Amino acid sequence: CKKSLDQQPISNNTTDTYFAAPNDFLQGINAVYNDLRTYPDRLLNLSETRSDNLYAVSEGGVRDWEGINSFFRTIASNPYVEEAWLKDFNGISRANTLLDQLTKNGAAVIPDAALRSRYEAEAKFLRAFYYFDLVRLFGKVPVFDHPVLTDEALTIPRSPVADVYKLIISDLQFASDNLPLATAYAAADKGRASKHAAKSLLALVYMTRSGPTYSIDGPGLGLDEWSLAAAQLNDVISSGQYAFLTNTGTATTAYSSIFAYTNENNKEVVFDVEYATGSNPQLGATFPWLLVPDGYFQSLGQPNQGGLEIRPISNNLLASYEAGDVRKAFTIQAGYVIPKGVTEIRSFYKKYIDITKVPASRTDWPINFIVLRYTDILLLKAECVLHGAAGSQTTDVDAVVNNVRIRAGLAGNRVNVTLPQLMEERRKEFAAEGSRWNDLVRSGLVTTVMPAWIAADDVRKQIQPFTNNYVIYPVPQSQLDVKTGLYTQNNGY
Amino acid sequence: QESVNVTGKVTDEKGLAMPAVSIKIKGTTQGVSTDANGIYAIKTTIGSTLVFQYLSYNAQEVVVSKAGMINIKLVESNTKLEEVVVVGYGTQKKGNVTGAIATFKADKLDERPILRVDQALVGQMAGVSVKQTSGTPGKAFSIQVRGTGSISAGNEPLYVLDGFPLASASPNGSGNFATGNPLDNINPNDIESIQVLKDASASAIYGSRAANGVVLITTKRGKSGKPTITLNTYAGTVERSKKLDMLNGAEWIDRATEMINAQWVASGTGRTASQTTDQRRAILGLAPGAFNVTYMLDDRWTQPGYGGLNVVDWQDEIFRTGITQNYQLGASGATETVNYYVSGNYVKQQGMVVGMDYESYSARANVEIKANDKLKFGVNLAPTYSVTNDPGVEGKDNILHQALSMSPIQQDLPGNVNVFNNTQYIWSVTTNDPLAKLNNTIGMTKKFRTLGTVFGEYKILDGLTFKTTVNLDNTDNTSKSYTPYTVTGSLSTRTTSPNVGTSGSYGGYRKRTFVNENTLSYVKTFHEKHDFSVLVGQAYNSDKLENVSLSSVGGFGVGGITTLGSASVVNGSTSEAMNVLLSYFGRLQYSFDQKYLFSASIRRDGSSRFGINNQYGVFPSVSAGWNIAKENFLKDSKKISELKLRVSYGESGNYNIGDYSSRALLGSSNYTFNGVPAYGQALIGVANPNLSWEKSKTTDIGLDMGFFQNRITASVDYYNKLNTDLLLNVPIPEVTGFGTQLSNTGSVRNKGLEFEVSTRNLTGSFQWNTSLNASHNSNKVVSLAAGQSQILIPSSFDVSHSILKVGEPMYAIYAVRQLGILSQQDIDNKAALFGTQTVGDPKYKDANGDGVIDANDREIVGKPNPDWTYGVTNTFRYKGFDLTVLVQGQTGGSIYSLLGRALGRTGQGVPDNALGFFRDRWRSPDNPGAGEVGKAYSTFGRIINTDWLYSSNYVRVRNITLGYDLGKQFKSKAVKGARIYVTAENYFGHDSYKGGFNPEASNTNLSGSDTFPEAGDYGGLPLPKSLILGLNFTF
Repeated sequence: CKKSLDQQPISNNTTDTYFAAPNDFLQGINAVYNDLRTYPDRLLNLSETRSDNLYAVSEGGVRDWEGINSFFRTIASNPYVEEAWLKDFNGISRANTLLDQLTKNGAAVIPDAALRSRYEAEAKFLRAFYYFDLVRLFGKVPVFDHPVLTDEALTIPRSPVADVYKLIISDLQFASDNLPLATAYAAADKGRASKHAAKSLLALVYMTRSGPTYSIDGPGLGLDEWSLAAAQLNDVISSGQYAFLTNTGTATTAYSSIFAYTNENNKEVVFDVEYATGSNPQLGATFPWLLVPDGYFQSLGQPNQGGLEIRPISNNLLASYEAGDVRKAFTIQAGYVIPKGVTEIRSFYKKYIDITKVPASRTDWPINFIVLRYTDILLLKAECVLHGAAGSQTTDVDAVVNNVRIRAGLAGNRVNVTLPQLMEERRKEFAAEGSRWNDLVRSGLVTTVMPAWIAADDVRKQIQPFTNNYVIYPVPQSQLDVKTGLYTQNNGY
Repeated sequence: QESVNVTGKVTDEKGLAMPAVSIKIKGTTQGVSTDANGIYAIKTTIGSTLVFQYLSYNAQEVVVSKAGMINIKLVESNTKLEEVVVVGYGTQKKGNVTGAIATFKADKLDERPILRVDQALVGQMAGVSVKQTSGTPGKAFSIQVRGTGSISAGNEPLYVLDGFPLASASPNGSGNFATGNPLDNINPNDIESIQVLKDASASAIYGSRAANGVVLITTKRGKSGKPTITLNTYAGTVERSKKLDMLNGAEWIDRATEMINAQWVASGTGRTASQTTDQRRAILGLAPGAFNVTYMLDDRWTQPGYGGLNVVDWQDEIFRTGITQNYQLGASGATETVNYYVSGNYVKQQGMVVGMDYESYSARANVEIKANDKLKFGVNLAPTYSVTNDPGVEGKDNILHQALSMSPIQQDLPGNVNVFNNTQYIWSVTTNDPLAKLNNTIGMTKKFRTLGTVFGEYKILDGLTFKTTVNLDNTDNTSKSYTPYTVTGSLSTRTTSPNVGTSGSYGGYRKRTFVNENTLSYVKTFHEKHDFSVLVGQAYNSDKLENVSLSSVGGFGVGGITTLGSASVVNGSTSEAMNVLLSYFGRLQYSFDQKYLFSASIRRDGSSRFGINNQYGVFPSVSAGWNIAKENFLKDSKKISELKLRVSYGESGNYNIGDYSSRALLGSSNYTFNGVPAYGQALIGVANPNLSWEKSKTTDIGLDMGFFQNRITASVDYYNKLNTDLLLNVPIPEVTGFGTQLSNTGSVRNKGLEFEVSTRNLTGSFQWNTSLNASHNSNKVVSLAAGQSQILIPSSFDVSHSILKVGEPMYAIYAVRQLGILSQQDIDNKAALFGTQTVGDPKYKDANGDGVIDANDREIVGKPNPDWTYGVTNTFRYKGFDLTVLVQGQTGGSIYSLLGRALGRTGQGVPDNALGFFRDRWRSPDNPGAGEVGKAYSTFGRIINTDWLYSSNYVRVRNITLGYDLGKQFKSKAVKGARIYVTAENYFGHDSYKGGFNPEASNTNLSGSDTFPEAGDYGGLPLPKSLILGLNFTF
């Protein structure tokens, strides 16, 4: 009779029986990737919307992104801010669980040592990825390299930024030593973290640490690690694993082909977040329409997606494009007209929309989101060189910028490109890719660009004055409430 | 001894012949029965004693002194103290009861147009709060006994139907019983009586399920005498009892004009409100004929007759007067060996909203057979079937909410707005016509439920009885929904992608509860004064739930077909869950001379739901009573006829913690590589092997009183209930991967006072009886997890608006106070502002005094639970007429209304319609309005504030019934009784809820979280009011 009280769940597994077969470990690592799925939306909400690329002031000031865009002091409870903390730490805890299980049972369950170290390297890559996102968003965060239970969690405060980086760097070094080449993966594994993805991310980490400190506990440590970064980037560039897509003949379609639905996992892609449509549970994306107003879909006879109100592109970004820049036409949609309906004249991003590929469900778009692409690697290298790393102004900076410009249908006539010019080129090249805010922060431009932009573009007088504290976000209110005094709030919030 | 023949007639109090009365000669086995005319004849001896016995009638003994006639009148044993009440696993004389038990006599239920048993309980019993949270016909009510003691494990009582404990269910975060409510489909007309065990001494025998009280429902049995056939029928109307004050067409235009002009002026330099539509078009550089509605007005608004536009009152369009009807046929009777009650019922109710209705068929057979003096067995069987149609009316973004928000100015007529081949009126909201949706959407739920009980009872010795029961409750529920593309999306989508907007789903569940209970009871009186009763028992209880859901993806391939075979793609899923409860229980009752009463019970429950370290719980109770009125000093009192003091203490539990909550569950967490799904598994929560039931400890002191031969009877109860080890999703650092962990922690105290008074004010030919109940409850969070003093409940709609805080009521409402409207003087005086506030915006209280308004300025501004709930029933009789009036209400609570917020918030869009209070908004410093609502155009956003806080006080005349006894009009013997009546349900009432229809409505998950369920109103229907005419016949 007592036995009948032991009711095993019918529709779920439990940890009692898990991590007993090699495939369990594979499924465990896949679940760590799963937390990447909201990363593109987060970038668009917290980086793109925060930056001078979007003037996302909503009618009545009621949208969740209003406080992000307009530098409200009271965004500690903002759902986008809350999501970032929870999701990144969820990914970290999954990685830690898997690493812990690998230590305990890995050797017994998985006979193939190479596979074991690949799993370990993938988990470490992803743990570093999530910690890097956290440090860029929040500065100091608690550091854990093992699964953490409630009692311990309640005793660990936010660690210094340097300690967060310590774990990130050691994880990425392990990952770059142990991950396979992208081309070494089987077709069914394309999209997993690779050796050069780890190196690329590590380079970006070094560069971010080399940014200014703004006198806050932010991502920049004021270090000079441009050369360390350049060394990693050189490895990526010399690996021959990737390529800079170029136009052929008179066509100017190379830029758009990077993002084409039919050209996923192309040579530009160093690391991406992958999506597919038609699965149950869904494995598709929502980021394509996140910044696109529903009216646009209506004007084309497509169902509403959920983009709510328009998040218009700033006048400043619109004006920055030179005539004939194919990236503008591809990235930006200038308004729409709904038949027998309203006319919208403001511009918005449509970079990830292929209107012929609208999925059955608005949360199930099939397109991957490129996190690191080869053009970025080349431009990051150029940035390192401008900061003093070994390299040539002509071939490592000017030529790269000119190639980017030529692909965009512009004249490749730039010489002695300066850092501000490079960042301006990055802004246009990576518009809608969520890198603008991080670029401004890393380069130190944020303190000058943002106030100037607000003064020029904020006709509604909605945006609050920018202060250096706004380089990072507040710790979510829910986390401050868990235990008084466990975490302290960032200055300025 | 002389042998004599004795004959006679046995009648009841009314003088009607009683057949089948047993007459025995005392001390022998000889006996006879009365015939159909109540006549008997028996041969006995002088000096012998005849015993006349019949079922629930008091036995009479007569000593035979001579031959001849002895006529006997038997009296039904219905004096109050002899009245028997149903208690857990048995019955008890009301006079001996020591626990707090509320009783509801259900004999008049067939005269009210009610569809459910819970509906009948509204306003009837002190301490039993019955909330009508929905206006959808047939939908479950929410019942709370003595306040709410659980934060997240539900506060609904355990229901026990004729001894069968039904599977408990709690409403989900949206206030719905997603997998059914225990009272679904149970025909109220079959109910004989309902007892609510309120304190732990009465309920603790149900152990880990009793913390929220236990409701014992008894269905009808056959009564002695000739078979009785009853026919009850009624028909009437159903309509809304309330209309919401919204802006009308002209007022909407006035507000839209003000806002659009303000948006235009703010959008750039050189833009003024006086610029015409054409001028604005030129400035914006739009093509001729093009409109940007954010900045441009519709010139027709100022033309006579609005230039052909229609003014629509959407509320009037979607509400209607529905027809309700009910037919019930029953037969019952009893003989020495068989007792039976069979009935069939059909009810159909059209809802007050177009497209909503409810229909149900139910049957019941209760049959009990006495095989011999020792063995008795019986069967209760109740198959039922109901069909509910609800196109999705209540709740956020559902049809009622949309109809309220819908712009009252439209290009097309209602029924054609932005549906079919008609385009949206570009200044209107994008919503599709709610009336067309009601008419074209399918939302059908079919529920087939069968309740069955088989039981046997064997008398082992005199006083010692063994009883075994086997119970099965099976529900098969299917629901189908279908929305054609013609009432979705925009005209261009409907035109270019027909059928893509069509959606359909089909889902269902099978829920099965199996219960086997075995009890041994011993009842004995020693030396006349010592009454003993002992019960021991054992029970096995299992619940199994199977779910299936299928839904279309990407529309349908063909139009006109509503089944999923025509869907482009179908997604499907199934799931199952099961729990087992093993129990042992016992009870001892002792009374001395019916003066000193004592009772104790204990139960041990083991549940598969509990964590492996904590699988068994023990739940004891004790109680004592003193029948003071039986003491010598009161025995002869003319004034005091009854006086009893009751004291009790008991512990019970709440085991609604989810079937597998204690376990480390893994869930799907998939990813994709290169377009191929990559399956992943990850923890979906933090395991807790110590997880156990919530504990509830109740102390109760009660006094039952009767005065002047019980012309006035009253009860007063005081209780103090402490719920500890609450199942709480304790916020934990998210570095663990999760935001909360389910733990047993924290405690809540409920304290209350209950009064029940019944008076017979007038007797004689004009009779007037009053019964009144009132209860006061206050609850307080006593503690939370160690080190925590508050938990902010998440909100799907902005920052938290409710809080669990030590020392404060549960789910206290937490908002910024609105003080009025900002004047220039306020701004000059550096009043605290929220963001970019300006003159004419609302003025908020800077509660923390830091000079700015933000979420830190929230304070506790109200609580959801009322202080007092009450019900008063007055009954008048004169000759053949009777009149019953039930008034019911509550005071002291508040509603934080998300519907009110949706319809009247700062930063609201231009097209949305708004609450009537926008009429008197701030328009300029010289025209500041009523001081409640700021200017229509605001850009500072919004903050949770007291704008949408309403009192939940209400008083409502629930029921007025006027009946006339037609029985005297029938000369035929075939008709034993006939009655005609008129009932008005919910006809009069008053509430202060201007932001919605029903202060008790709950239909939307406000927290957006399963961990802190908080159901609230985001578009709940008003209560239906109905007027019916009915007939009862007895043959």
